[in-house]
Amino acid sequence: MTISGNYFAGVDVGSLAAKSVILKDGEIFATGLVQSGVNSVESGLNALNLALETAGLKKEDLTYIVGTGYGRVSAPYANKAVTEITCHAKGTNYLHPTVRTIIDMGGQDCKAIRIDPDGAVVDFAMNDKCAAGTGRFLEVMAGVFKVKLEDLGSIALSATDTVPMSSTCTVFAESETISLVARGEKPENILNGIHHSIANRIAGLFSRVGIESDVFFSGGVAKNSGMKTAIEQALKVSIVKPEIDPQLIGALGAAVIARNFAKKEGLWV
Amino acid sequence: MGKQLFRYSEANKEGFLDSDNITFNDGSIVTPEEIWHYLTVEGPVKYPSAFEVNLYQGNRGSRDETLPTSLKTRYLGLTFSARMEKAKDNGKSIAFIQGGQAVDPYTAADTIALRPGLVNQWNNGLEYGNDINKENLRRKKSKEKAFHDMSFEACQTGGYEHVQAGNLRIDVIAPYTVLRCSDVSYGVEAHRHGPNKDVKLLNVDFPLRNQADKPWAIEYFAGNLRRLVHTLDEVTGRKTTEDDLLKAIKLHNEGRRLGTELAELWWSADIPPTNSDDRASLVSLGNLETHGDVQASLSVLKEARKFIAERVKNGVKGHAVTDNPKRLFILGSCVGINGSRSEDAGAIVVGRDDQWSHCSSLVEEEGDPYYNLAKTTLEYPYEQGIEKRAQWTIEQIRKSRADGVIFIHNWGCNTQAAISRPIVDIIKRETGIPTYIHERDLHGLRDEQEQNRVNAFIEML
Ligand code: SF4
Repeated sequence: MTISGNYFAGVDVGSLAAKSVILKDGEIFATGLVQSGVNSVESGLNALNLALETAGLKKEDLTYIVGTGYGRVSAPYANKAVTEITCHAKGTNYLHPTVRTIIDMGGQDCKAIRIDPDGAVVDFAMNDKCAAGTGRFLEVMAGVFKVKLEDLGSIALSATDTVPMSSTCTVFAESETISLVARGEKPENILNGIHHSIANRIAGLFSRVGIESDVFFSGGVAKNSGMKTAIEQALKVSIVKPEIDPQLIGALGAAVIARNFAKKEGLWV
Repeated sequence: MGKQLFRYSEANKEGFLDSDNITFNDGSIVTPEEIWHYLTVEGPVKYPSAFEVNLYQGNRGSRDETLPTSLKTRYLGLTFSARMEKAKDNGKSIAFIQGGQAVDPYTAADTIALRPGLVNQWNNGLEYGNDINKENLRRKKSKEKAFHDMSFEACQTGGYEHVQAGNLRIDVIAPYTVLRCSDVSYGVEAHRHGPNKDVKLLNVDFPLRNQADKPWAIEYFAGNLRRLVHTLDEVTGRKTTEDDLLKAIKLHNEGRRLGTELAELWWSADIPPTNSDDRASLVSLGNLETHGDVQASLSVLKEARKFIAERVKNGVKGHAVTDNPKRLFILGSCVGINGSRSEDAGAIVVGRDDQWSHCSSLVEEEGDPYYNLAKTTLEYPYEQGIEKRAQWTIEQIRKSRADGVIFIHNWGCNTQAAISRPIVDIIKRETGIPTYIHERDLHGLRDEQEQNRVNAFIEML
């Protein structure tokens, strides 16, 4: 589909990062990704401005903006707010129309989402009661081992063994990890155990909503190759390779929804 | 900077003044003129939080300006605390109750019965001049106190903390030991060891698994109800007769009938005649207990029945309801979703299971009133086993033409948490309607996360 001269933006303000995607002519035209601060309005604007700058556009050039993520309610720059569950569904469907199941792992929660061929949500389940399966949890673990967050997955994949981890409460897991290290367990084997225990808890979410192929992994944690492998093993599926940074899927979905709203409201024909 | 407050428009004043008085238990009345004055002058000064225009919190119920009974329920809510204080000054006794009970025996024994939510409302209303933010902070402080006094693991809708702190003049605590409420044990234990343990405590014992089909179980529970009334009499110094109880049952049956009629009328309409909050506050009048005054509730209920009938006939839509909203049925104890924000997201709440179960259960008026009341209480559909409760819920969902079902339970409400999944699974299996389970986290401290999920569910519908 061609959308000549019309730009639509999605802004996804999460707990760890704010993301923005601008669509033009049905294609991703520009993106922006910044760390979230305490002021979610500012974080969203920073991500949007970064994408606008990359695109060489001004905010006035945008036909419609949709805000999503936890910062969506305080997004005065957006025409509408939509939840990130709907946005992840739409964003995934836009890039990978054969996907029916999404695992979304963000900074502060993780979700199991089932979608239909049009990208509409059919069912969802979330874990937001503990830090297990969140970016924040992995951040703490990276801190314990004094490694970079982005290296966590590849270290886990280099393991020769899996040391089971019984706690996924961040505080208890931290002390359990320290005692495992003191016992002489290798860091890569412990990290492998951590990834597998998180993956098993995520599998529990799917006992509620079910799994249908193809399966996609979105959100910031999806960049972690160790987590991807652990989830594939826990769910006995293979995960579709993302075409873009999986952390941008929510913002992409918001941009797609912005385009739909603009059409519905007669702002774009 | 002061917060923007909602003001009732003078344009609607005349219509409101044409409506009925509210008559109270003690025979006193308030006129629409007095109510209007309270809602436009006195109320906003005393309770700015109730009038604050706030997109994210606050309540849109009672802002339906051309529905006089909507304003009257707001009036009764805002004056609740002052009325309870006045009742105490006049020597009336007040009981703190829990656990799925009808208040008929309390009405018979001339005692005001307050559930946890109302106990909290009484305490909340004692302080004036707070905006929403200040009010929330204050309530959260009181929750912190409850965590300290009861347990971090309890749901804390309790109110036991107010009794222990001596904030409220409660004469008797009388929970039913029905299995629905895991909080009772925490509360009772805390009370037994608390500084104010002299406040009378009576556990009204429920036969395990209800067993309403067994005469012995009904007799056993009827005996407990007699014990309850006897305890209330010890406090009031009066002698409640069987005839008093029968009269109370008849009065409450009238409320239950009217409440049921009102709900069914509402459901019959193609266009929702009120918004979610107004629907809830009007239908719940049927149990005649929401405002701590049976007669006041009944008089507003009678009038509401008339207004809703007119709206349904004329196809009038409730305030701020969107066109063709998605209809949500909410399950679970002591908690609901934010009506106005769900309306903004394109939905409307069309029913609840908890108190509706009591409202739609009439008590037999012929024969031993204790036995009859015991039988009905043990038969409450909401208090039954999973399969039975689910089947009754399905009936209500169908009657209300709901598009989606949300089971919501408080953190620490262990029984509801445990049964939510099987109940929802049966509903899903038999109706195919989408369902969602949500655990309210530590008393809405994370309102935003909760609304996020509810909105995602509405978007899904
Ligand atoms: S929320 Fe549950 S545990 Fe708490 S008072 Fe209500 S029924 Fe009892």
